[in-house]
Amino acid sequence: MTDHQWSELAAPYALGALTPDERTGFEAHLAECATCRAEVQTLRDVTGLLVHAAQDATPSPALRERVMREARKASSIGPRSARAPVLPWLAAAACLGLALGAAYGYLHERSARTVALRALAAAEDTITARDSLVATLLSPDVGSAALAATGKPPSARLYWSPSRHRVVMAVYDLAPAPAGRIYQLWAIARGKPVSLGIFNTSANGRLTAALNVPAGLTFEVTAVTEEPAGGSPQPTQQPFLIGKVARGD
Amino acid sequence: MTNWQGRPPAPDCTLVARMANADERALGELYDRHGRPVYALALAIVRERADAEEVVADAFGQAWRTAGQFDPSRGSVGAWLATITRTRALDLVRARGRRARALERVSRVDADAVATLGAAADAPDRGVEREEARGLVARSLADLPDAQRRVIELAYFGGLSQTEIAAELREPLGTVKTRMRAGMEKLRGSLAQLLSEGAA
Repeated sequence: MTDHQWSELAAPYALGALTPDERTGFEAHLAECATCRAEVQTLRDVTGLLVHAAQDATPSPALRERVMREARKASSIGPRSARAPVLPWLAAAACLGLALGAAYGYLHERSARTVALRALAAAEDTITARDSLVATLLSPDVGSAALAATGKPPSARLYWSPSRHRVVMAVYDLAPAPAGRIYQLWAIARGKPVSLGIFNTSANGRLTAALNVPAGLTFEVTAVTEEPAGGSPQPTQQPFLIGKVARGD
Repeated sequence: MTNWQGRPPAPDCTLVARMANADERALGELYDRHGRPVYALALAIVRERADAEEVVADAFGQAWRTAGQFDPSRGSVGAWLATITRTRALDLVRARGRRARALERVSRVDADAVATLGAAADAPDRGVEREEARGLVARSLADLPDAQRRVIELAYFGGLSQTEIAAELREPLGTVKTRMRAGMEKLRGSLAQLLSEGAA
């Protein structure tokens, strides 16, 4: 089939009007053809708007309660899935505008799923995510700080929710601390460093972690130092990463 | 746009992230925003109110369970919900052997939606943005030649393949294909304004 003939399938594909055989063939083509993927994307946006073409109708007020009831039922059946804690973190990160990479650009269902699962597997390796990460990231009062070492790697990003007394930190390109050493995160409150906890990165130089903040502590600057294993009551060296906190609310 | 509390409303995708974290209030808010258009879509496909409500309850249940898999880079939350709803509605129609119903006039170019375009502010229970979208989509569909609009409606609301549409209309398959393509091209042009807004 010529490229031109393939592109003719984009509109019926977006409308779900291909036969199963045609769809399978076209999806295989989509995996390799960025032009057709882009075409399908814009036509799918058109299809998405057709929801507004349905004649307006008002559901009964009881439907809302039914929706809520069924969700509660689904929640009580058991754990949502082993992967659930990671995915919401990714979704939350995407909402906050953090780049998730172009890998999500694939458009047809299976490729998108495969790519997403691959990205997920990679994320699971590098992120020790917990539900509390999401709660912290989504707090209305969340403030953030970009920690950097004079414009070159390593770097870190920190989110702080004063109301939840938690910070979430994502560290990039930081080699694991040498044997017998550890990294320590500090909050600088009125010029005085207060330890927020110790951490280490994995072999790929990354880490995402949630740390507790002492109740009542407010701070303007955060910093990271390398310390003897177990951490120090006060920093024993100059910080190699430092960043100013921009407050949320 | 701000709500009565003076704070901007949470974006849809934030609601979905909260749902993935088992926040039921986020589900309620999502329903309040999208329940009505999604219900109208379900009803246009299944034609029975009780069935449409079942479809919507199932669709929001699926959205609740799979919220963690929602990928904002692939499209809006509204489009995601519409896709889930349409799939479930078509499944139900097929399961009940009611496909023939889909061949009735599946949607109506909603003259009311065009008429109320300027009066959106008088419909506080719907939302101005939705009224604007309804108006523009209705006008865009109305501007299509009947034959092009018909094949698009049969595919979208009836779940028919091009081959099935050709058989139903007793038209050559090539004619159906050409009409579908041409109609979608025109819609893409006339809906460009909504599409560039991100189709929220």
